[in-house]
Amino acid sequence: MLTKLLKYEVKATGRLFLPIFLSLLVFAAINKILSVFHHPTWTTPSVITMIIYSIIMAAMFVMTFTVMIQRFHKNLLTDEGYLMYTLPVKSWQHIMSKLLISMMWIIASVIVAMLSIEIITYKPGTLGAILQALAAIYKQMIGHFGASDYFLLFELILGGLMTLASCILIVYASIAIGHLFARHKILSSLGAFIGLTTLSQIYLVLAFQVPRIAHFADFSLFNITSNKFIQSELIFACGFILIAIPCAAYFAVTNYILSRRLNLE
Amino acid sequence: MSTIFECSGLTKKFGSKTALSDVDLKIERGQIVGLLGPNGSGKSTLIKLANELLTPTSGQILIGGKQPGIETKKIVSYLPERTYLNDWMRVQQIIEFFSDFYDNFKPEKAYDMLKRLNISPNDRLKTMSKGTKEKVQLILVMSREAELYFLDEPIGGVDPAARDYILETILSNYNENATVIISSHLISDIEKILDYVIFLNQSKVVLTSTVDDIRDAKGKSVDLLFREVFKC
Repeated sequence: MLTKLLKYEVKATGRLFLPIFLSLLVFAAINKILSVFHHPTWTTPSVITMIIYSIIMAAMFVMTFTVMIQRFHKNLLTDEGYLMYTLPVKSWQHIMSKLLISMMWIIASVIVAMLSIEIITYKPGTLGAILQALAAIYKQMIGHFGASDYFLLFELILGGLMTLASCILIVYASIAIGHLFARHKILSSLGAFIGLTTLSQIYLVLAFQVPRIAHFADFSLFNITSNKFIQSELIFACGFILIAIPCAAYFAVTNYILSRRLNLE
Repeated sequence: MSTIFECSGLTKKFGSKTALSDVDLKIERGQIVGLLGPNGSGKSTLIKLANELLTPTSGQILIGGKQPGIETKKIVSYLPERTYLNDWMRVQQIIEFFSDFYDNFKPEKAYDMLKRLNISPNDRLKTMSKGTKEKVQLILVMSREAELYFLDEPIGGVDPAARDYILETILSNYNENATVIISSHLISDIEKILDYVIFLNQSKVVLTSTVDDIRDAKGKSVDLLFREVFKC
């Protein structure tokens, strides 16, 4: 069922994102072509296309953000929820499908933005230079961590994805909490968002006290082993747990409200 | 006959307002049931509770012996009183959506009914009138071979000619074991297809009876009885 939900989520959002991605890339290309002429008669058109390009770029990121909220709120908590909640699907699957597709579009937007900048600034040789720089970073990582670099890269990506998920889930949890109120749902959601953000900050401050306390207790991760790889892995593991706890909490709150406290009006 | 829908002590409050108060009901399989009552009597609330769109304040609901959940959603087909379809899809895309999620959805039935009501499967919902959207929704809901149908005001927004077709559709599309619960205040229109009626007033059940009993024992039509019970 989750795959089916994902499929329809992609369909519902793709019709919004794909045209804007395409137009961003097209305007980047037009910009590039106009800049090749370097002639005064082409100054005005190229300024105009540059402005349009920038507007599309801004619109794309605003859209990514609003679609993330809209798909969750409109599709699950307004009239469309009448359909979604009468499907034989569990609420965690609804949340998961919205979350994964939101993450996908946010990442895609960033990639498309970088690609469009690459198109505009493209000069023969720049692509090679970028690849060379990447190769250099890669070599350095191998030098530093030995053969574990793929694993490290995987962990960095995983950490990034978890952080992204946490940013989206805090918004979902806020909307769900706002839904509990009979009136002023949007205002309540905003209040819930401020509340949850504050709680998360407090959590982080407290979590960062743990190493200090451990230090006073004469305990450090580095005492466990002198193996560099295991040391870095332990740090990663702690980091993952640190991000995973609020992530899981937001998910649990959202799921509880959607499955046990749903009241569609 | 076995029970398909049962609720006991069912209460739903919205803040200080009671929408449904201590309702006990038992509905057997294989009949068409009219859930009748004036506006705001709790008809939609009862149906929404059965579909898990609302959380009861207290009491419980059993559908085929199970509490509302995934298993009951597989056997319940629900027509809400509002448009729940997003407007960017075409009719055929929605049919595909329903076939994907409901094992008991029969697309050929849906296409057949669309044809009879002159609705093109290629039309977008955005371009449709409110009445046409309601017809599409009813077609989708009746194209499922469900065990229990909840139809909330199915004929409220459509013209009288389509009303007859819709009632005929309801009659011809449900099998002997299925149960249809129709909420409406247009009693004279649906009276002829009902087997059983439930009168709701001010969040309480005030009368349950078979239609035959009303006609034989009281010598009245359901419409007349309704007008007497709910006389303002």
